[in-house]
Amino acid sequence: MNKKLTIRYLALFLLILLFQTQTYGQELFTLNGTISDASSNETLIGVNVIFPEANTGVVTNTYGYYSIKLPEGEYKVQISYLGYQPIQQTINLSEDRKINFELQEASENLEEVLITSDIEGLNIRKPEMSVNKLSISTIQSLPVVFGEVDVVKSLLLLPGVSNAGEGSSGFNVRGGAVDQNLILLDEATIFNSSHLFGLFSVFNPDAIKDLKLYKGGIPAEYGGRVSSVLDIYQRDGNSKEFKMQGGIGAISSRLLAEGPIVKDKGSFLIGGRSSYAHLFLKLTDNENSAYFYDLNTKLSYKLDDSNKLLLSGYFGRDVFNISQNFENTYGNAVLNLRWNHVFSDDIFTNLSAIYSDYYYGLNLNFVGFNWDSGIKNLNLKYDFNHYINDDFQLKYGIQNTYYEFNPGEIEPIDETSGINYYKLINKYAFENAVYISAEHRLSDKFSAEYGLRLSNFFRLGQDEINSYANNQPVAYDPERGIYSEGEILDSYSVSRNKSIKAYNNFEPRAAVSYMINDSQSLKASYNRMAQYLHLISNTSSPTPLDVWAPSGQYIKPQILDQFAIGYFRNMSDREYSLEVEGFYKQIDNRIDYIDGANLIANDAIERVVLNGESRAYGMEVLLRKNEGRLTGWLSYTLSKSEQRTPGRSAIEPGINNSDWYNSNYDKTHDLSITSSYELNDKWQFNANFIFQTGLATTFPNAQYEYQGITVPVYGERNGDRLPEYHRLDLSATLTPKKNKNRDFQSSWNFGIYNVYNRQNAYSISFRENSDTNQNEAVRLSLFGIIPSITYNFKF
Amino acid sequence: MRRFNFYIVFIIFLGLISCEEVVDIPLEEAQPRLVIDASIEWIKGTDGKQQTIRITKTTPFYDEELNAVPNAEVKVYAESGEEFTFNYDQAGMYINTNFIPELNKTYSLEVIVDGEIYTATETFQPVVEIDYIEQLNNGGFSGEDIEIKAFYTDPAATEDYYLFEFINEDVTLEFYEDEFTNGNQIFGYYSTEDIESGDAIEIQIQGISKSYYEFLFILRSQVGTNQGGPFETMPATVKGNIVNRTNQENYPFGYFRLSEVDSMNYIVE
Repeated sequence: MNKKLTIRYLALFLLILLFQTQTYGQELFTLNGTISDASSNETLIGVNVIFPEANTGVVTNTYGYYSIKLPEGEYKVQISYLGYQPIQQTINLSEDRKINFELQEASENLEEVLITSDIEGLNIRKPEMSVNKLSISTIQSLPVVFGEVDVVKSLLLLPGVSNAGEGSSGFNVRGGAVDQNLILLDEATIFNSSHLFGLFSVFNPDAIKDLKLYKGGIPAEYGGRVSSVLDIYQRDGNSKEFKMQGGIGAISSRLLAEGPIVKDKGSFLIGGRSSYAHLFLKLTDNENSAYFYDLNTKLSYKLDDSNKLLLSGYFGRDVFNISQNFENTYGNAVLNLRWNHVFSDDIFTNLSAIYSDYYYGLNLNFVGFNWDSGIKNLNLKYDFNHYINDDFQLKYGIQNTYYEFNPGEIEPIDETSGINYYKLINKYAFENAVYISAEHRLSDKFSAEYGLRLSNFFRLGQDEINSYANNQPVAYDPERGIYSEGEILDSYSVSRNKSIKAYNNFEPRAAVSYMINDSQSLKASYNRMAQYLHLISNTSSPTPLDVWAPSGQYIKPQILDQFAIGYFRNMSDREYSLEVEGFYKQIDNRIDYIDGANLIANDAIERVVLNGESRAYGMEVLLRKNEGRLTGWLSYTLSKSEQRTPGRSAIEPGINNSDWYNSNYDKTHDLSITSSYELNDKWQFNANFIFQTGLATTFPNAQYEYQGITVPVYGERNGDRLPEYHRLDLSATLTPKKNKNRDFQSSWNFGIYNVYNRQNAYSISFRENSDTNQNEAVRLSLFGIIPSITYNFKF
Repeated sequence: MRRFNFYIVFIIFLGLISCEEVVDIPLEEAQPRLVIDASIEWIKGTDGKQQTIRITKTTPFYDEELNAVPNAEVKVYAESGEEFTFNYDQAGMYINTNFIPELNKTYSLEVIVDGEIYTATETFQPVVEIDYIEQLNNGGFSGEDIEIKAFYTDPAATEDYYLFEFINEDVTLEFYEDEFTNGNQIFGYYSTEDIESGDAIEIQIQGISKSYYEFLFILRSQVGTNQGGPFETMPATVKGNIVNRTNQENYPFGYFRLSEVDSMNYIVE
């Protein structure tokens, strides 16, 4: 974006603000407070506070806080939240008031349970679009592989969310790459969301309160990743009484304890989860093991009505051990201290100090070395929610993050090792942002959410900065037609206090909604985002070993522009809802790798990458049935995701001859049907059906023999497809009757994954049969029919 | 850097639940392309006079027949201007019996097929000797296989690249650079499930150039050991150092390289 345009944007923005402040007329009073669960004091996110007569309302923020300004008068207020009994109350507003509401969980006996037990109805008025929410109770009832409840795997059932096949790590949103998702756990960035190379995600469902996935129209408070934001909040813990819950499953077990430190003021929560398949291996005298564990902790303390402290932590590790020869450990650690403060009744603030660390370690005894790598960051952020009046809210804040990248350190295990000590050069960076974002009801029909984020990135000094021949870190040999690492002319050091490269980006965000009538609306959004970190990965799906690299002199930040439009409709008095969206996104400076790029222990990644671009477009449909005994949804996505890396000059071929090619996770059709049927108080049944176009892959179109080896010749990159993927999963949850009048609650979950045992292709590989010497295609399929049983309890 | 297939662990893990099946996948057939396998190898202690260059064309992936090219003119020129003509024998093999190998000297290859001229230039790469061979019976990745280590001493003064050939029933290629092992005594590593006591294994260490090392690196990433799936590396075109001077687009596969070789026979205990 050029400067002039930016200034115009800013001017427009300020003008709107100015216009806004002039609309003040009559005297307004503030009603504010916190909304929490009556049994645990757990604050509730996204509760609707509606004033029907005034035709206005507000929603609680991520800390359960709400605030609204209204003229003097008597108001009826309705408070409603999924799974809770609604409250109706009359409030006399003649001065500023603070009212905290406590909601009672809807009791099992009431008919309403059936109404509210599934995903929330659609909010058609808010300009917010391209957002998916799943309640933890929905996630917990879905049938899943091995019966292991999984946050990320549940998201895959929603439109626009997919992954690069079973057993691949992370998830892809609207044709974006895995490293383009911003994953926040209590506001701290999680760098690797997978356990066991992607079979499970790192989030313990018992410890999670709420989650929200932004696929588009991303508000200005978020930045740093271009594709999506997955915002996950951990529970605070019960400050009324001590409680425990847990579950025993086929692969892992969970246990969580929570309770008051000071009744109604302070609480703790500690939850652990561990897999134990390796214990069985030990019993069978097998020395190999593969397991994971994680620990979620939280302390919260309410100093007074205006101040609250929250300390949350997460620690997770995966460990692989192969006969003492090979040991691999990796995982995330996060520590986060937050201070909620209400300045005046209309300004809510949160100050966070976050430390986050991703570690990857490898111990190769049979070769004789240890390998350590990781990324650490320290993040300070200060966010303000400013409730100006009932039609206008502002959010603004500042964020600073300091990164330290350790791309790797090789250490010989003893003196006899033939390996020399080697340390790859640490890299440092500083990322800053300021943002302001408004939620604005323009008229009865029009609402808008708009904002601006100014982000800035300093790549800081380090040792061994290279300068290259012709200033090109990647060389091209026109005779042979190949790329190779560029020649290093000189290498120098710059102090860590100095910036060696700076980037600034204006990231405008906007979303509008137009209410056609009470049950239909149209929405549109645009957002621009910048991403300064890149996951260096040349495999179809990222691996835990992949390192993150910061932008710098040669690797530029990824810049995204996304447009989305949508039609939203509630039908049959909110029993059904329909969401249809179309999107187009374009990402500049998406890197790709030259043939033969060595990414492991590479000190200068810029020598093996070329800057390219990617784009994705598609249509998403989500039809939900929100009420009745039978609830569920149908989700369908038609989309295309492609990448292109042209040569830097006319003589260079770039990658794949500069042509567009399908991304590894491109799926033309992606359909899933999820349903849940509540037979009676005891039994609930669930079913999923999934159908997807096979993943893009590359098949050989010729072969030759070289030095006794058969070498396949591959055609156009990702020009072929694996066979279609489909499967049906079923599950049943049994809640025994005897639960009713006692504290100890238990349930059984029985599941069957891939009921008709479809051998879905995980990969098709081509090889020479070692017995017949005949070339053949081999399909590897991962999960056939898998039954599972899980026992859950709570007391 | 020595590379290992880290994801073997993952594959082992998945082995518990996964299922492999040979399937029928129809494939497209590309136009045949020339393949020039020009590896001049000089085993220490021999005269290195007899050398072979093989010229074939690519075939459809499932075909079993070799597509030999019998009508090529094949010549290698030494730095001194000496000319060695390779004559057709059979199965795409072209042979010369008067070759004069000289270490660190530059040679060029010229091949003419169907009126198109292909050329390449490369230096004869020397290599150190194999110091000794060590066998471990509870080694390998699983801790249950026989592993063979062929030790050699890397010269500290130079940047060196090595190719190991372990010739048992099949040929196993391993290649190394000295970035992390410069000046040390280190080993070429060979371990598969198929090694048995009594096997006679020929072990070769060969000196190779950096550019050939990079070629092998890409070649290996494209060959059978690639399991596919999420951790598959992207397919690449394995372009060598032989250039078509007549029509650059019609590039050949293969490589022209010259290596000194130290060879040892080892009987597995």
